Amino acid sequence: MEALASPIIDAVTIVKDYGAARALHGVSLQVGAGEFVALVGPSGCGKTTLLKILAGFEDLTGGSLSIRGDDMAGVPAAARPTRMVFQKLALFPHKTVADNIAFPLKLQKVARVEIEARVRAMIDLMHLKPEYLDRYPAQLSGGEQQRVALARALVSKPSVLLLDEPMSALDAKLKKSLQAELKKLHREIGTSFVLVTHDLEEAMMLADRICVMRSGRVIQIGTPTDIYYRPANSFVAGFIGETNFLPVRAEPAGNGAMTVTSPLATGAPARLAADHVSPSLTPNGTALLVRPETIRFLDATGENGVWSMTGMVEEYFIKGSSTQYRVRVTGLDAPVVMDLAGSIMLPAKVGETVRIGFDPAAAFLLSE
Amino acid sequence: MKIEQKSWRDPVLIAAVAPLALVMLVFFLVPLVMTAVLTFQTTQYYRLVWTWDLKIWTEVFSKPHYWTIMGRTMVMALICVVLCVLIAFPAAYALATRLKSYSTAIQILIIFAFLTDAVLKTFGWILVLDKNGVANWLLAHLGFPAEALNLLFSPAGTMIGMVYNLVVYPMFTIYLSLVRIDRDLLLAAYDAGASRVRAFFEVTLPLARPGLYSGAILVFVLSLGAFLEPRVLGGGTAPLASELIRQSFETRVNWPLGAALTLVLILIGALTLALVGVIALRNPFGKRRAAA
Amino acid sequence: MRTTRVKDMVLDTALVGSVVLLLVFFYVPIVTLVAFSFTSSRVLTLPIEGFSFAWYGELFRKPDFLPAVANSAIVAAVSTVFATVFGTAGALAWIRYRFRLQSLFRAVTFAPLLFPQLLLGVVMLLWFSVLGNWLGFSTGLVTVVIGHIVYITPFALVIVAVQVHGFDETLEDAARDAGASGWEVFREVTFPLLWPGIFSAATFSFLLSWGNFYISYSLSGTARTLPVFVYSGIAVGSSPIYPALATLNFIPALLLVALAEYMRRRALKRQAAAGS
Repeated sequence: MEALASPIIDAVTIVKDYGAARALHGVSLQVGAGEFVALVGPSGCGKTTLLKILAGFEDLTGGSLSIRGDDMAGVPAAARPTRMVFQKLALFPHKTVADNIAFPLKLQKVARVEIEARVRAMIDLMHLKPEYLDRYPAQLSGGEQQRVALARALVSKPSVLLLDEPMSALDAKLKKSLQAELKKLHREIGTSFVLVTHDLEEAMMLADRICVMRSGRVIQIGTPTDIYYRPANSFVAGFIGETNFLPVRAEPAGNGAMTVTSPLATGAPARLAADHVSPSLTPNGTALLVRPETIRFLDATGENGVWSMTGMVEEYFIKGSSTQYRVRVTGLDAPVVMDLAGSIMLPAKVGETVRIGFDPAAAFLLSE
Repeated sequence: MKIEQKSWRDPVLIAAVAPLALVMLVFFLVPLVMTAVLTFQTTQYYRLVWTWDLKIWTEVFSKPHYWTIMGRTMVMALICVVLCVLIAFPAAYALATRLKSYSTAIQILIIFAFLTDAVLKTFGWILVLDKNGVANWLLAHLGFPAEALNLLFSPAGTMIGMVYNLVVYPMFTIYLSLVRIDRDLLLAAYDAGASRVRAFFEVTLPLARPGLYSGAILVFVLSLGAFLEPRVLGGGTAPLASELIRQSFETRVNWPLGAALTLVLILIGALTLALVGVIALRNPFGKRRAAA
Repeated sequence: MRTTRVKDMVLDTALVGSVVLLLVFFYVPIVTLVAFSFTSSRVLTLPIEGFSFAWYGELFRKPDFLPAVANSAIVAAVSTVFATVFGTAGALAWIRYRFRLQSLFRAVTFAPLLFPQLLLGVVMLLWFSVLGNWLGFSTGLVTVVIGHIVYITPFALVIVAVQVHGFDETLEDAARDAGASGWEVFREVTFPLLWPGIFSAATFSFLLSWGNFYISYSLSGTARTLPVFVYSGIAVGSSPIYPALATLNFIPALLLVALAEYMRRRALKRQAAAGS
C-alpha cells in the first residue's frame, strides 16, 4: 500500500494490551482528508479498540498516532479534532435535543447567537424537524436519535468523524435509508469518516477504502473493488459472503501471470493474468476464488475455455431476483454455491445430476 | 417487561392484591383516619370522651411552646438532610465508580449495621461519646486535651445519632442512580470537549438528581420522627416533636393531643414530599410516562 | 499529564477514604459495644481492664432477658413470613399487572416507608387502643406483629420488585408453550427465578423485625421484645450486661447474613455454569 501524501490520521504500528492480552498487534492505518474508511472484521478483531484509540478513550501500549500532523500521545479525547458517534448513541437523556447538539459548542464557549445558528444549520443538514429542538431524546424515534447523535458529533466541525457501529440496532429498512443519507452527508461536508462495522456489505456501500481486521491485525486495506475482486486471502473473500474455493496447482507463467490446473475440474490448464493473482500468494494451499454468480449450468457438450464439474443438486433457494443452487461435487468439502438469475422455470431439481462450469480466467487466485 | 391487564374478577389478582391491600387498609389507612378523628375528641380523668369539638386544635395552635419544638424539629431535620447528603454522595460515588469489585461486600456491611437494633447502637454511641468515652480517650492519646469533645447530651449528640441512623437511605438511592449511568455518556462528554469536572457537573450530577432528591426527602421525613436520638444522646436537653408526642401519651395520657401532634408532623412530612415532588421529580427528561 | 495523574490519585484516595470513614462511622458504636462486653470491670470506661466472660456469666445467671428473646424470635418469624409473602405478591402486582386502582394500591403499600417509625407506631397504637376499648383486647405480641408487617412489607416489596423487574418473561411463555398451567408456571419458573429476591427480602425482613424498637415500643403493651427490654434497662442505668446482650443479639444477624451471602454465591455460580 502506498503512503498517503498528507494523511489526516496516521497510525503507525499500534500495539494495545489489556493486561496480558494483546488486542492490537502493530496496526497501521492512514486516513486521508475527506476520506471514508471502514474498519471491518468479526467481533473481537480489534476494530472498536482501534477506534477508541483514535478517539482518545484508550492509550497506546506501543506505536504512534498523529492526527493532522500532531502527535496524539497524552492528548485527551476532549482536545482531539475527532468526534464520535457511539454505538448506543449516548445522547444525554437529561438535555433537550438542542442542548445535546449545542453541547460541544457550549464547552468551546461559542457565543450564544452563533450556537443557535449552527444548531439550526445542523438540524437542517440532518433533516430534523425544528420542533424537535425542545424535546428530549427519549421522545424521538430511533432514526431521529441517530441524526441527533450525528448532529452533535458534527456541530463542532471535527476533522474526523468516528462512527462505532451506529446503525447496528436499527431495523433493515431504516438502516438502508440512513446508510444512503450517511454517504450523501459525507460527500456534502467533506469530513473524514472512520466507520466501525461488522457488516462488510455496509462497508462496501459506504466506504472509499476498507480495512479488514482479524485477531488484532490488519488483513487487507483497499477499495471495495479490491476487497471484493482481489481479496488478500480466503478469510477476506469468505467474509464478504458465500463464495467458492477450488483447490488448484499454480505455476508461474511469466510477468506475474500463473497457469493453474485442478484435478477436480475438467478443462485445459488456464492462464490467469497478473491482476487475477493475489499479490500475497504463497506457494502452499493455493485456491481459485470462484464467485457464485460466475458459475452456470452446462449442456452435455463441452465448451472452450470452460472448466466443468459434475455434481448432484443438494438444495436450492428461490431469492426472488436470483436463485441459489448448492451442488455437491465429489472431492470438495463444501457444496458449490451458484447464483443464477431468477426465473419462473427451475433449471434443475433436488437430487438431479448436473454439469456446472465457469471461466477460470475470470476467477482469482489466492492463498487459503 | 410483560404487563398483564388484570380485572378485579381475576382470582389471581385478588389473591395477589387483596390480602396486602386489606392489611394496609385496616392497619394503616383506617388508623390514619382514626388519628384525625381522635383530634376532635377530649379526655377527662385520663379517659377518652367523644365530644367532637376543636378544643385540642385550639390548644395546639395557642401554645407557642409546641411550635418552637416543631420548628426545632424541622431545622434539625434540614441539617440532618444536608449532612447526610454530604456524607452519602462521595461514598456512593466511590462505591459506584472506584470500588466496583468490593461494592457487594461493602453494601452487606452497611446493611448489617443498618439492621442492628437501634437501641443497642444508640447505647454504643453513649459509650463512644461519653466524657470518659472512647472518642475522648482516643483523642487524648492523639495528644488532644482531656475531654476534648463534649457531645453527649447536646443537640450535637442528637445530630450524630440522626445522621448515623439515616445516612444509609441517601447512600443507597444515590448509589442506585449513579450505577445506572451509562459510561458512554461520560465518554461522549469528554469527546465533546468536556473536562472531568465539567463532565461531572453536566452529566453525572444531573443524572444522579433523582437519587439525591429521593434520598434527601427520605432523610427529612424520617428525621421528623427521631425519638431515641434526642432522648438518649441529646439527653432531653433540646426535645424534638417526638418527645411532645411521648409526653402526651405517657405523662399526660392525652390521646387527642398526641394524635393532633402526630398529625401535624405527618402533614409537615406530606407537604414537603408534595413540594419536592412537584419541583424536582416532575417528568424527568421528558420520558414518556411509561405505563409503569 | 503528571499533574493530572497526581490529581487523580488524590481524588481516588479521597473517594475511597470517604467509604472507609463511613464504614468506621457505622461500626464505631457496634465495635465499642462488643469490646465492652468482654471487660472485667464494673464501669464502662476505657481503657478496658482485662478480658473476661464475666458479664456473659452474669447475664445467664439472671436470665430475665430470655422471655424478651423468645418474644422477639416469635415476632420476627411470624412477621417475616407475612411480610415476605405479601411483599412478593405485592411486587408482582406492582410491576407485572395493570388493574383499576393500581396507583392507590401502590401508594398505600409504599407509604409506610415514608413514615417515621414512631409515628407509624403511634397511629397504630391509637387505632388498637380504640378498637381494644370496643372489642375488649389490649395491645400485645399480636399487635406488635401486625405493626411489624405494616412497616416491613414495603421493604420486602421493593426488594422483590427489583428482581421482578429484571425478570425475562419469555421464560414463562416458554413454560406455558411447553404445556404448563398457570400455577405450574409459577412453581416451576417464576418462583425459582424470583427466589434470590424473595430470599433477600425474607432475610431483610427478619433482621428488620428482630432489631425493631419503635414499633414494638409503641405496640407491645406489657409484652417486651429484646430491643424494648434493652431500652428500659439502659433508661435505668448502664451496666456491662447490656454490651454482652448486644453482642449476643448480633449472632442471628451474622448467621443470616452469612447464609444469604452463601446462597447468593451459589446462585451466581449456578447461573455462570448455565450461562457458559
